[in-house]
Amino acid sequence: MFASLNWLKELVDIPVDTPMLAQRLTDTGVEVEGLEVPVALFRGAVTARVVSIAIHPGRPDLFVLTVDAGKRKGVCVTAARNLEGGDVVPWGPPGCVLADGTEISCRDFQGVTSEGMVLSAEEIGLPGIADEYGILRMGEGFTPGEDARAALGLDDTVLELSITPDRGDLLSMVGLAREVSALFPEARYKGITPAIQPRASRLDGFEGITLTDSGCPFYALGALEGVNIKPSPMRARVRLLLSGMRPISNVVDATNLVMLLVGQPLHAFDDARLPGRDITVRLAREGEMILTLDGKTRVLDGEDLLITSGGKPVAVAGVMGGEESEISGDTTRVLLESAHFDSIKVSRASRKLGIPSEAAYRFSRFVDPCKAETALAVAMEMMASWGAGVPSGWIAAGEAAQKERKVALTSKVLGKIIGTGDLDMATAILERLGISTGDHDPSVRHYSIPSFRPDISIEEDLIEEVARIRGYDKVAAELPPVMHATGDITDRMRAERAVRSTAMARGYSEVVTYCFVSPQSIAALRFPGPDPRSSPVALSNPLSVDMSVLRTTLVPGLVQAVLKNISSGWRRAIRIFETGMVFFRRGREVEEVFKLGGCVCTGVDSRSPWGDQGTEDFHSVAADIEAIFASRGVAVDLVPGSEPFGHAGKTARVLADGRDVGYLSALKPEIESEMELPAPVFLFELDMGPLVHDGKATFGEVRKYPPVFRDISLVVKEGVYSSDVLALIRELGGPLLEEVRLFDIYKGKGIPEGHRSLAYTLAYRDPERTLRDDEVDQVQGRLRDQLAQRGIRLR
Amino acid sequence: MGDIHDDVSRIEALFRSVLSTADSVEALQGVRVRFLGKKGEVTSLLKQLGSLPDDERPEAGRVLNELRDSMERSLAEKTRQYAGAQVTAREREEWIDVTLPGRGRPWGAFHPVAQVTQEAIDIFVSMGFSVAYGPEVEDDFHNFEGLNIPPHHPARDMQDTFYLENGLLLRTHTSPVEVRSMRKWGAPLRIIVPGKVFRRDSDQTHTPMFHQLEGLLVDENISLAHLKGCLEAFVNRIFGRPLKARYRGSYFPFTEPSIEMDVECVACSGRDPGCRICKGTGWLEISGLGMTHPNVIRAGGIDPVRYNGFAWGMGLDRIAMLKYGLNDLRVFFEGDLAFLNSKGERR
Ligand SMILES: [Zn+2]
Repeated sequence: MFASLNWLKELVDIPVDTPMLAQRLTDTGVEVEGLEVPVALFRGAVTARVVSIAIHPGRPDLFVLTVDAGKRKGVCVTAARNLEGGDVVPWGPPGCVLADGTEISCRDFQGVTSEGMVLSAEEIGLPGIADEYGILRMGEGFTPGEDARAALGLDDTVLELSITPDRGDLLSMVGLAREVSALFPEARYKGITPAIQPRASRLDGFEGITLTDSGCPFYALGALEGVNIKPSPMRARVRLLLSGMRPISNVVDATNLVMLLVGQPLHAFDDARLPGRDITVRLAREGEMILTLDGKTRVLDGEDLLITSGGKPVAVAGVMGGEESEISGDTTRVLLESAHFDSIKVSRASRKLGIPSEAAYRFSRFVDPCKAETALAVAMEMMASWGAGVPSGWIAAGEAAQKERKVALTSKVLGKIIGTGDLDMATAILERLGISTGDHDPSVRHYSIPSFRPDISIEEDLIEEVARIRGYDKVAAELPPVMHATGDITDRMRAERAVRSTAMARGYSEVVTYCFVSPQSIAALRFPGPDPRSSPVALSNPLSVDMSVLRTTLVPGLVQAVLKNISSGWRRAIRIFETGMVFFRRGREVEEVFKLGGCVCTGVDSRSPWGDQGTEDFHSVAADIEAIFASRGVAVDLVPGSEPFGHAGKTARVLADGRDVGYLSALKPEIESEMELPAPVFLFELDMGPLVHDGKATFGEVRKYPPVFRDISLVVKEGVYSSDVLALIRELGGPLLEEVRLFDIYKGKGIPEGHRSLAYTLAYRDPERTLRDDEVDQVQGRLRDQLAQRGIRLR
Repeated sequence: MGDIHDDVSRIEALFRSVLSTADSVEALQGVRVRFLGKKGEVTSLLKQLGSLPDDERPEAGRVLNELRDSMERSLAEKTRQYAGAQVTAREREEWIDVTLPGRGRPWGAFHPVAQVTQEAIDIFVSMGFSVAYGPEVEDDFHNFEGLNIPPHHPARDMQDTFYLENGLLLRTHTSPVEVRSMRKWGAPLRIIVPGKVFRRDSDQTHTPMFHQLEGLLVDENISLAHLKGCLEAFVNRIFGRPLKARYRGSYFPFTEPSIEMDVECVACSGRDPGCRICKGTGWLEISGLGMTHPNVIRAGGIDPVRYNGFAWGMGLDRIAMLKYGLNDLRVFFEGDLAFLNSKGERR
């Protein structure tokens, strides 16, 4: 919200300078986001009366004006055609600086010297202030020779305020003035007192107001006759502009200025264009339509509150008026609405219809119902004083006044929260806010809550008022008292930390990618229909289609990060990992599963001084998975498996303690080329679940006797998995076989086509004694025989 | 032969002086020849022993032998030092380029937000807070109504919400975990909730997904002083030095009073009117906080008369930006290795 400081000063004496005011407002909860002097560069112009207008002797498209600024007169040349003798205009004599910083000097127009220039609204920096093209005609109320800045009310400071949603009362100058008066004990609140006293009467020929819904407890109409629609006085227009609103016409401007002043939104109907002689406030019928004054047809539902006349909708209550009864240039009779509408009703309609009007904004945040009549009186008085119309009557329906509310404040609770339970101190602060009490009890007092503070309903609300005005800096910081338990990061976070530190130690960079991805990025992974990953949950209001479904896998984010790195010139290997949730549809619910995802790309440039040893491949990534799980005491095995997006020959399921927790896979070559990945990519995605439940580590017994080693080489067909061979050796190796380790893979000379040789080293050990070579040879020989019996060729 | 002791002292002094200037194995060999060789100074004295009277001979022999042994020891010691510097043929053969980059992979890189999260958690854990988690997909009750934000409440405008096709929503803050945790554990309670939150907003300082750290303490007789004490301890630890703090009135539906905490600008300490980080104000918004609203305590199944507490929420991405001197939030979610690896030593 924008607030003119000069306007505020009309309503309250402010005993401090502007920076101090801003500081105090900010500290107590009204954040001052900016302090701005309007059109700060514009200076040096004076008000001047146009004395004569003549056509330039040599240039028939120009006029030569003589202007009179009191002590000083001058000649100006202008092309503007909107001036008449007697108009008061801003005159920028030589030396004047325009809003854009241009300095004015004398200028020759074919023999006529223009002493500066007469100024347009744009040149002053207030383009919205005049609706006619040409020089700004200032209208009545200005004497020649005044400084134009001061005369227009531009020697002001505009406060840009951020008002929290609970403080609807501060969306008005009166409310702000009251708040300012509470912040400084020396400040004096002046407020407003309209000369016209609201007095309900009859309106000739008007049938009356009917209220049918609790959403509108009070509705008043004021009538103005002899309405003369024209622009508002210049200073009123400036004030509207400084408050962030656009001047329109005297009647509309008056409703807006009063809304800014009092906080009560008003609406003006052209009486002649109302379809009936009544106003009825009722709920809309399902599908009922209204053409609102922004030119759009709105379809309503049964919860929208409507203002109707003659049975037809003329306004959406508290949101926006209808176009058909809008004020226009030929309006002669105005009915001015000042009513109270339920904040939820207005808020709902405003959101649903997408109309964030100033009125709806205020009603949504609560408007003081007691101000409805005052606002109407002030508006009618303002219009009358501008000659916009003659107040002719006033009727109202319903009840504006509210039940008196009292809230108790105890010394005990106040003391507990802010460290002092002094109720005299509290009362002094609260009374400045208009919250009063007649109680003097030192332990508990009951305070009357004024109608403009609906946000105060419990003791804590009063404590907040006392604490913020007293100042939060008055409370000394102190650590909370004794701990009842030690703090714990939980197993889940221990798992996350182990994963992070292991992955980073193994050269992975940690990434965080968005939980929402594009549907295409999921579809690209070719999940078949029954796979829960194929049907992600969609957002109903995504920012873009690229962020429109919840990820069912971490792969799209990881692959996108790889692509991003390659496109921005990263040529070396890419190793990234992410821990985070993926989301699955479970009936009407969404299931979140905690995953670890990793992606390794060999990189566009995988050259290394170490040759192959420096290149990433499936097996280097497999070692990373083993290490990550080992860091939490969980052993993993890789077994042959598949993924719809995985390379058929390079995909494994990962088993953690025998349970399938995910996959390690090279991306399918076809998808790789679809995604324009210039180098091979390996992906893994694993449940974090097994890591969260820490495999409690235990150690075996110390082995006293040395092992005896024997090697064995087997020739197997391509396609036979080493893990199967290893399992077979274990199975057949007998009780003394302690460990089997693959140490060589060989293809080529001496090995038949389509085969490979696998060499293992076997460790035999007896925990009770040292083994003799001959007994080990015997065991090893038996193993060789058994393997041979199963058709496995030994080398 | 004069007094044997004089000769010994003289020779010994000479030996020490010559030895100290010998700076190679060859030079040391020269020293040995000069003193202990066949015609060496000590050798010649030893040769003269036979000509000494019988009563002086044993004493002179002992002194000379001691001198010779001491010289041998000194020479051997110094020779070992220089001989150690000698390069053998084998070593020459086994030369490698020791400046090559280490084989294997370099250390990876942490994500600034994840790292800050970890540090923040450790600070609060030291103050007795335990980590709690909640779902990222929430329902209206936990995200809004249970936190004192009924439908159509204007406070809903403060947070633009992503809704899902099934009517659920992506949590707009970590606060829903407050109610969930109170219901689960009761009072007294100290929890911190790190996690992703989502708001429909995207520009240089807003991303539609970001990270919050929520905290809640519920106990008997909790005051604003405790809230300030906790948060100031945190700020001073995370930024590594004491920072001035200020507290401004604010509004959150789930706290009463509600406060905004600012800390002194970590970049300029309020001394640079042109500072880009604090926009010249000297202050940085760091956390929204307040005393937990009795309705929220009640929604958590705890008696609000006996127990009260405080809560706060802070943006971890913002703290990471401040701590690591970054100015664009969006890079956090692009996985850009050049960015993630660009930081030097941890500060
Ligand atoms: Zn700064």
